[in-house]
Amino acid sequence: MIPRFRLARPATLDEAFAAFEAANGDAAYVAGGTELLQVMKMGFAQFDTLVDLKGIPELHGIEGDGGGLRIGATTTHREIERSPAVADAFPALVGLVRSVANTRVRSTGTLGGNLAFAEPHSDPATLLLASDAVLELAGPAGRRETTVSEFVVGPLSTTREPDEVLVRVRIPAAKPGEGRAYAKLAFFERPAASVAVRVTVDGGVVRSATVAVGSLTEVPELVPDAAAALVGADAGDGALNEAIAGGIATLGSLDAVEDLNGSADYKRHLAGVLFASTARAAIAEAVGHD
Amino acid sequence: MTDVLQAPGLDRVAIELVVNGVPRRLVVEPRETLAEVLRDRLDLRGAKVSCDAQVCGACTVLVDALPVSGCTFLAVDADGRRVGTVEGLATDGELSPLQQAFIDQAAFQCGFCTPGMLMAATALLEEQPHPSRDDVVHGLEGNICRCTGYEPIIAAVLQAAGGDMPSSRREEVPAVTSAEAGGDPLDPGTEPVESQQ
Repeated sequence: MIPRFRLARPATLDEAFAAFEAANGDAAYVAGGTELLQVMKMGFAQFDTLVDLKGIPELHGIEGDGGGLRIGATTTHREIERSPAVADAFPALVGLVRSVANTRVRSTGTLGGNLAFAEPHSDPATLLLASDAVLELAGPAGRRETTVSEFVVGPLSTTREPDEVLVRVRIPAAKPGEGRAYAKLAFFERPAASVAVRVTVDGGVVRSATVAVGSLTEVPELVPDAAAALVGADAGDGALNEAIAGGIATLGSLDAVEDLNGSADYKRHLAGVLFASTARAAIAEAVGHD
Repeated sequence: MTDVLQAPGLDRVAIELVVNGVPRRLVVEPRETLAEVLRDRLDLRGAKVSCDAQVCGACTVLVDALPVSGCTFLAVDADGRRVGTVEGLATDGELSPLQQAFIDQAAFQCGFCTPGMLMAATALLEEQPHPSRDDVVHGLEGNICRCTGYEPIIAAVLQAAGGDMPSSRREEVPAVTSAEAGGDPLDPGTEPVESQQ
């Protein structure tokens, strides 16, 4: 059974902060509950009060933002998967949320909950890291913005203050000639390894690249050396194979974590395979926009 | 619904939900899961709690037509919503086409996963009446079956969607009505339940 708790159902952020304070800090925010209720049920966490964020309109929904996106923290994976605005602005994100966990978790689990829980095998964090997403937070002390790399500091650990709420995620518009792709391999509910690649292509040549890996390291990480291997490659011929091989070689030094999915070496190998396919997909999308 | 927030949060919540078409009013603790309320308060024991971790799908029920894990979904979050369980699939003793297809295709053996499979597939077919095989696999990949090897289940869902079922096979298998199958002994009837803990 889930340990006993009181429930607050605020309609505004200010009410949420008041409810948190009324519990003298012995509280947690909850949205879909797919992570928090699970750890409470397993006896890893207990709170006097859960503050349910689902009734706060400001935290929910998807808006186009000049070619980019603003996704409210309590928006579910399922809602993102079916959003025409996301399909238009960020197809790679649609593919990602379509494969998060299972259909039940996608019905209830939220983007904000996923990021705030900071499970090292998070799907969205890796792609959002590569996409320069901005996270908006609000707390009793005010509002602030941060990035995925500043936010996720360790397994299940973020820079969010206990009384702070993740409000929304802002994803910048794709640049001209930009392509983004994400791929993972999962044996269980969560990925064993995942890779996100973002590139710009101009005149048939890769001009910039960002590579992020997830699930094999303790936190999603940018891999600048892998990105550098892609820059300057001709998007259309055999030179790309060489660039990708160079990128794969740089992944060999990742500080991968051995877990139920396999050894550190095996997970680095998976990252290489995923990097190759993801780099090709991102470049193909970019060429289409070139 | 907004609650008063200056005081500590609520330790009892009155909820109203419509379960298989029947309005229910209950007072629950916030910590009670939908599976606990369905099974222990409303005596609807089709949904099984097995892994208790949202992985196996045996507790799959529908909330406003969407599949959720009853084991990790708070009953308070079903307040004001429609809840569907396997007990609601048959109408007047007549199995739903999906249930009949599970029988025709021998899509269960021990049956423990079957209510969850049926509810996940019901949700899938409501959204996609004519799914491809890949759609069915994608929709059910979070529901684990240890007996069948999944192929008969996929065939049953495709049959229910209309087609993909060899007609010769259908004739081999005598239809079983829900009355022969024992009806629904767990049907709690239509009386609204008022429960206080």
